[in-house]
Amino acid sequence: MNKRYRDKDGVLARWSLGALVSVALVAVAGAASFVLPPLVQPASSERHAGKVIWVDLVTPDLAAAKRFYGGLFGWSFNDIHTGASDYSVALLDGRPVGGLYQHALHSGEQRQPAWLTFISVRDVADAEHSILAHGGKLLTPPRLYADRGRQAVFADPQGAVFAVLQSSSGDPEDVLAAPGEWIWSSVMARDPDQDAAFYQNVFGYEVFEMPGEDGAMHIVLSTEEVARASLNTLPAGGAAKRHPHWLNFVRVTSATDTAARVESLGGRVLVQPFRDRHGGLVAVVADPAGAPFGLLEWTDADSKDTAK
Amino acid sequence: MKTLMNRRSLRGLILASFVAVAGCVVGGGGYDGGASVGYDVGFYEPFGYDYGGWGPGYGVGLPRRGYDRGRPGGHGAPHPSYRPAAPTRSMPSLPSRSRGR
Repeated sequence: MNKRYRDKDGVLARWSLGALVSVALVAVAGAASFVLPPLVQPASSERHAGKVIWVDLVTPDLAAAKRFYGGLFGWSFNDIHTGASDYSVALLDGRPVGGLYQHALHSGEQRQPAWLTFISVRDVADAEHSILAHGGKLLTPPRLYADRGRQAVFADPQGAVFAVLQSSSGDPEDVLAAPGEWIWSSVMARDPDQDAAFYQNVFGYEVFEMPGEDGAMHIVLSTEEVARASLNTLPAGGAAKRHPHWLNFVRVTSATDTAARVESLGGRVLVQPFRDRHGGLVAVVADPAGAPFGLLEWTDADSKDTAK
Repeated sequence: MKTLMNRRSLRGLILASFVAVAGCVVGGGGYDGGASVGYDVGFYEPFGYDYGGWGPGYGVGLPRRGYDRGRPGGHGAPHPSYRPAAPTRSMPSLPSRSRGR
């Protein structure tokens, strides 16, 4: 074969190679473009296993949710869009406080939007093994999201749904939440005794029983001397249907004023503000799509020791 | 010989590129896989349930730090399935430190 043909072959090979590499790069770029931001910036080595470190709202109307939560808490939003997913990171004073994820409902489909609670774990595979061994169910298999970390979604033995997250950037530090940030989480369970055993076995919580005035069982789950969540008897339903679930609370300076704003922004008040055991008011509300969440007043005085 | 090598290299590169592209499209971070191509936490609660109905005294909040665990009126199980914190342990609360302090 003469030199001219060899040169032609060489050029053809280089062009083909270039084209293929370009196609591969475009495919890789498209596939990897859904990148969630890290929980902590700059990254740290802090890890608080058992702490609620993130929440995601799953909603059929992302724009409406942004209007509502932006108006209620002054959150701003950083949109992450790909062909398949619309996600928005909610920010308060530049700090990420949660995610809003649009998930379309089929025509005529009726489902309940909700905030999904993410609990810190050191290792998702170990957590999965433990959860399944103690009667939990896997709903979404572990997946790695660049920068955020590895996560999976489960239901506890009574059906309350939660997620675990092995953050790539470490866990947020243990500080008192500012107004507008998530401050507290509760599980409403049919059998708090059994559920407490499940969460203790999986996350290693210390379990503290709390006095109650209503005949219901109230339990505090704790790690590292910090209260992480409460477990409570699901209120008797009567005619109403109730099912076990996690409920997260945003710190507010006035639950009464915030509950009124919820209604003016198109949401609903599910439990009117009432005085809870720490002395501040607590309320439960729902956003315009129906996702429930709590409001909790907490003052600096509440952080001080009570008389023993 | 050189041309033959070029063609073999080219075939190899084509194959490798297809494998890479297929891996990106199909793999997509399946079970414990690599980085994800979309968000798959499309979880909704079942419809038609009620979230209120808390009666008087139904407290979900937390006590202040140092809350007296010996107060009467507790409704813990007599033989709980969990391991209760030792009676000497203080009731925990939220962190008292604010951010940046």
